[in-house]
Amino acid sequence: MPTNTHTIRYNTGKKSLFSVHLMSVKFEDLYEFMVEGNVDDVNVLNEVRERIREQGRVWWALEASKGANWYLQPKISSNEGVISVTSLKLSVLTNTITLRRLIRKGVPPVLRPKVWLSVSGAAKKLSTVPETYYDELIRATEGKTTPATRQIDHDLPRTFPCHPWLNSDKGQASLRRVLVGYSFRDSEVGYCQGLNYVAALLLLVMKTEEDAFWMLAVLLENVLVSDCYTDTLSGCHVEQRVFKDLLAKKCPRIAAHLEAMGFDVSLVATEWFLCLFSKSLPSEFLMSILRFDKCLLQSFSLALRALNLEEMRTRIPPDAPTEGT
Amino acid sequence: MAAGYRAEEEYDYLFKVVLIGDSGVGKSNLLSRFARDEFSLETRSTIGVEFATKTVQVDDKLVKAQIWDTAGQERYRAITSAYYRGAVGALVVYDVTRRITFDNAERWLRELRDHTDANIVVMLVGNKADLRHLRAVTHEDAAAFAERHGTFSMETSALDATNVDRAFAEVLRQIYHVVSRNALDIGDDPAAPPRGKTIDVGAAKDEVSPVNAGGCCSA
Repeated sequence: MPTNTHTIRYNTGKKSLFSVHLMSVKFEDLYEFMVEGNVDDVNVLNEVRERIREQGRVWWALEASKGANWYLQPKISSNEGVISVTSLKLSVLTNTITLRRLIRKGVPPVLRPKVWLSVSGAAKKLSTVPETYYDELIRATEGKTTPATRQIDHDLPRTFPCHPWLNSDKGQASLRRVLVGYSFRDSEVGYCQGLNYVAALLLLVMKTEEDAFWMLAVLLENVLVSDCYTDTLSGCHVEQRVFKDLLAKKCPRIAAHLEAMGFDVSLVATEWFLCLFSKSLPSEFLMSILRFDKCLLQSFSLALRALNLEEMRTRIPPDAPTEGT
Repeated sequence: MAAGYRAEEEYDYLFKVVLIGDSGVGKSNLLSRFARDEFSLETRSTIGVEFATKTVQVDDKLVKAQIWDTAGQERYRAITSAYYRGAVGALVVYDVTRRITFDNAERWLRELRDHTDANIVVMLVGNKADLRHLRAVTHEDAAAFAERHGTFSMETSALDATNVDRAFAEVLRQIYHVVSRNALDIGDDPAAPPRGKTIDVGAAKDEVSPVNAGGCCSA
């Protein structure tokens, strides 16, 4: 939770109205999640919102000057690191750079579906299959029972149960189709617990089921470390090892502290990575920092940041004693 | 807040107890019922690992129970070896209304034996016992399992709180007895698995039989 570590930064004059720091506030965020937090949390969220609003103005200005779909040009969505400069027109290159910079700063919520679909490569994936692919896939899976569908049915009511739409019959039917559809598309993954949270969030952002499905597909097949969700979760093991190395390098004190306590950080970090932080961060905050073009890098830096915040919050002393009794 | 935290830190022993069992048997609700006396019909499926602690009195000692809860899906077993490390007690949970979850208890037990010390105290827990009309596993089945595998057994309902405290308390009490009986030097690492004599499960088993269990006649 983005709590008091942010307080100092956001303690501007107008917020001094909120002097009672323990006061709990409840409000609905952009994606209809009920958020409960203290005044500091609200301040952070307001700050994030304000930044996104400012970004929105930049996006609109660009749309006005370059046209609504300026970033949808074919080469733009290329995720490969090497772009042959000679094969690109200068304007396309500028657009690419502009887009990268803009995404780093956050995408306005209304544009998220379009931008995510394009930048992630999901649109490209979608364009290689017949238009009826999704509908046919869903029709083919109707009435079929597999271990995956059984587990999915078990998890549907347990996926953000407090969310009004996800808790409705309609929402659960949508989520079910996306997850079941994907379990048939990739039988090696089938269904892995955790994907329910990812898919649910994608549904809320992308608005249409089919787009959510393709976002899920591109994430699992192209963006994230491969085999994160397959039978042995081997990709997830790799991520955890990398994360541990990064932690030792970037936050040596935290790493040493955890080591001294004999605490394996993957015990908590596994959930962060497998659910793409959707279980551990408020959705609106999450959206504005999750950049799907660099999702993985982002995950690592997010996880590091989470631990850093925790260190500040709990103030681990330099040589934290770890007495047994 | 800091003061309350410190007060909670006063204890004589720290025991790590793990919850295992198939997905959806109610592990998280057993944990929340025990640790916070809460039950939620709107539980979110657990991914990775969650923890809670509660300090209880066993004989004249304060025992801090550190309860670990994890995802039930099979593929998560591959990432949970750290989960078992140092565990001295375990609740193998099944859902009394779903036979398959009881049948799988044997595999969970094997998993546990592979990763933990032989002296770990194990309790077979049949949860959702309030759903009497949907019962698919009999008391006799559970008793036979416990007999066969040398575990304790009890039926619980996290929903109406039946036996939840008792199941945890019994596990903690048995762990404490193992520890105190053997006068182990656990000063360095209170969470270390007790070594030495095994617990005499044969004697205790009848005392903790299905549903009306209890009978905590300590020596």
